[in-house]
Order: sequence, then C-alpha cells, then structure tokens
Amino acid sequence: MRPRSLLALATLLLVAVILQTTLFSQTSIFIPDVVLFVVIMLAATRTRAEAVLGIAFLAGLVVDLLGSAVLGLRAITFAVVAYLAVRTRNRADIGRFTTGLWVGLLTLAGVLLLVTVGTLFGQSVLLGEGVVQRIILVPLANMVLGWIFGPMIVRLLDGDTTAFRYA
Amino acid sequence: MLNREPGDRAVPVLITLLVLGVLLMTFDVRSEGGGATGVLRSGVQTVVSPLQKAAAFVVNPVIEVVDSVSNLATLREENLALQAEVAELEAALIAVDDQLARFELLEQLYNLEESGSEIGRTVAGVFGQPDALSGALFIDKGSDDGITVGQPVLDTSGFVVATVQRVTSGSALIVPITVGPDAVAVTVGDQQGLLRPQVNSNTMRLEMIDATEPVFIGDRVLTSSASVRFPSGLPVGEVAADAAPSLDSLTTTVTPFADPEALRIVVVLAWPPDPVSAITSEEPEPSTTTTTSTTVPGSSTTSTEGG
Repeated sequence: MRPRSLLALATLLLVAVILQTTLFSQTSIFIPDVVLFVVIMLAATRTRAEAVLGIAFLAGLVVDLLGSAVLGLRAITFAVVAYLAVRTRNRADIGRFTTGLWVGLLTLAGVLLLVTVGTLFGQSVLLGEGVVQRIILVPLANMVLGWIFGPMIVRLLDGDTTAFRYA
Repeated sequence: MLNREPGDRAVPVLITLLVLGVLLMTFDVRSEGGGATGVLRSGVQTVVSPLQKAAAFVVNPVIEVVDSVSNLATLREENLALQAEVAELEAALIAVDDQLARFELLEQLYNLEESGSEIGRTVAGVFGQPDALSGALFIDKGSDDGITVGQPVLDTSGFVVATVQRVTSGSALIVPITVGPDAVAVTVGDQQGLLRPQVNSNTMRLEMIDATEPVFIGDRVLTSSASVRFPSGLPVGEVAADAAPSLDSLTTTVTPFADPEALRIVVVLAWPPDPVSAITSEEPEPSTTTTTSTTVPGSSTTSTEGG
C-alpha cells in the first residue's frame, strides 16, 4: 500500500471506531458494524490479501481492546471475514446492489461467527437482550452502507477513480 | 470485473492469525482481564476516549433532537404528567425538609456525629457502546473522579443497573447486570438467592436454594447483605412469575427495574468503602469526604463536601 492509502485507511478505521462507539451505539434500528464494513471494503481494493488479513486482525484487536469481551474474539472474526471477502471479491463489483449484498452477507457471516465463538468462550455480554434482532439488523445496516459508500471507499483506498464504476 | 486472486500465502497467514487470536483469548481468560492485557486495554481506552467524548459532544445533541421530533406527539401529555409529578415532589420535599430540620435538631441535642460510612456518589453520562453487539457501556467519568473497578452503578432512580469493569483517567466501561457475567446476591423477603442474566432477554433468572416460602408476582428483589459487589438493600427488580419451592429450591424470573438500553445518566457508588476511610472514621474527629459530580449537556461541575 502507498503511504497515502495507508494514511487514508488509518483515518477511516479511526473514524469508524469513533462513530461505532458513539453515534451508532445510540441508534436502535440502524445499527451497522462500521469497522467490519471498512475491513470488508478494504478486501475489495488492490491491497495484498496478506495485508488485508493483518489489518483486519489489528482492527478487530482494537475493537476488542475497547470492549469488555475477551481479547482476540473480534480479531479472529474480522480476519476470517476478511479472508472470505478476499476469496469472493471478484463478485463484488458487478453492480452497486451486488456490492451491498456482498457486504451484507459477509457481515452476517461475521456476526454469526462472533456470537458462536463468543458463546463457546462464555461471553454473555454479547448475548443480551435483542441479540437475535441485532444478528439481522447489523448485516442489513452494513448492506445499506455498502450500497451507498462501498464504491467510494474502494476508490479512496485504491487512489483509483475508475474503480467500482460498474461498467 | 475485478480480477484479483488472493496470494498463495493468504491461507498460512490466516492460520497464523487464528492461532495468535486463540492464544490471546486464552491468555486474556487466564489473566482475568488483568496483567498486560488490562494495561493494554486501559492504554487504548485512554487514547480513544477524548476523541469519543468530542464525537459524543457533537453527536448527542443531534440524536436528542431527532428523538424529540420523533416523540413530539407524546411530549404534551408527558409534560402535563411531569408537571403533576413535580407538584407532588415539591410537596414531599417540604415534608422531608421539615423532617431533616427536626433530625438536625435531635443530632445537636444528643451530640451525634457522622458515622463516616456514607457512600460517595459520582454522577456520569453514558456516551456509547464498544460495538453493535456488546451490552457494555462507556461513561464519561474515570479514576480522576474516584471511580474504580468493581464499583456498583445505579440509574437515576436508584435501581441497580451495572458494575464498573474497566477504568481510565477520564472514562470507564460498565457492564449491566442483565448481561453478566457474574450473578447478583439478592433477597426476596427473608429468603436469599442469586440473580443471573439470561440469553436474549431483558429478564433475569432468580435461583434460591433452601427456599421455604413461595414468591409472587410483584415481590421486590433487593441486593443481599451477602453480596460482595453491592451494598445491601438496593432495589434490583420485581418477581415476574409466581413460584413455589420444589425440593428446597426455587427458580423464577425477575424483571429488573432499570433498563440499560435507556440509560443516559448513571450514578456510581464509591463502594465498598475505602478501608483507610473506615479506619479514620473511628478516630475522635472523623473526616468524611464525599465527591459528587453532576453532568449536564455542555457543562460539568464537581463539588467536594467534607465533615
């Protein structure tokens, strides 16, 4: 990654963490996982797969460090989702709706993995009131984000204005 | 269409990261959130919390405006109900003032002094959550305001709602009792029990061993004197279903009074009392310090009372 792209990515992730822990923690229906969304969109860029996995792991680790669940839970989840995203990214730029759907499905996989691994490690903090509702709402919100902002983020991180133009 | 096949090293890198993640999880569970991971968590929270507070300063008024607009229809009725409530409370306040004056007079007559066991309270604002799935909450007061790990947290009505799990100088992370992980020792009438969180539910599970009497809907559930996490006698919730003892044990559900989802302001109790304060309170001239901080949007005041 070029230094400019790296700076853009670091800024995006920081903004995502801040927005996630403030704005989107107080909304009841539109509850995206913004950090996971940025990680998924990073996988759609020209960044090397190994770097995507490493950055996804570190992003998850930061969210883990801020939260109350066991350290490494989101790091593992984000890394697995990033791997799935890297494996399927060729299908992401068929159209704007497809991009959103791709983001939504990957987020669903991530949320299910997070809840499953969290349950195995006895993380009751993830299983409180409305967990089933959130398993549905979080991917839907990320799908909307992917539909609206996905292409823009890929262009920003790649520094390529022609990316995700759906030609 | 993109044509970017992942490199051959993606799978080994993923496996390495998974192993590293599991090692981290194991290490964190073994160290019970303390040690190096605890220091790391506090460090990251210390760095991020000023940014979070700045963002909350901008975002919270916008959310409040949106909430107000969406609730405009019910605001008039709510306003009338609140005016009636204010009138009732003002009348009650006059009665309490009268009792307080009599109490102070009696204290002077009998030369009574403060016991030194008063519990300090810190009022804090809730400004966010770690992520979309977590039930934990960030509050805007930290160790600089006297908050320490393990202290009980109440809502503004005085109902038990959470405990402090992690503290930095300017913020803290609280975990509601409804998402655990620990049980709360409680009493219903004369009977002792444990209150545990339930998956995907706002109710809690009450388990009583050596139960001798049934419990009924509406029975108040209070913190027990056996609790090491909360002062005794604090209201937690009410029994949601009738239940009778079966083979000396009793199980039922309890609806907590406090709703963590609706929390905007919380009260952190300085409990258990500092052992140093407890010793000094036994000296001839006791010195009790109570710190009270009040947060309102856009301003913050702190006052210290000594006796």
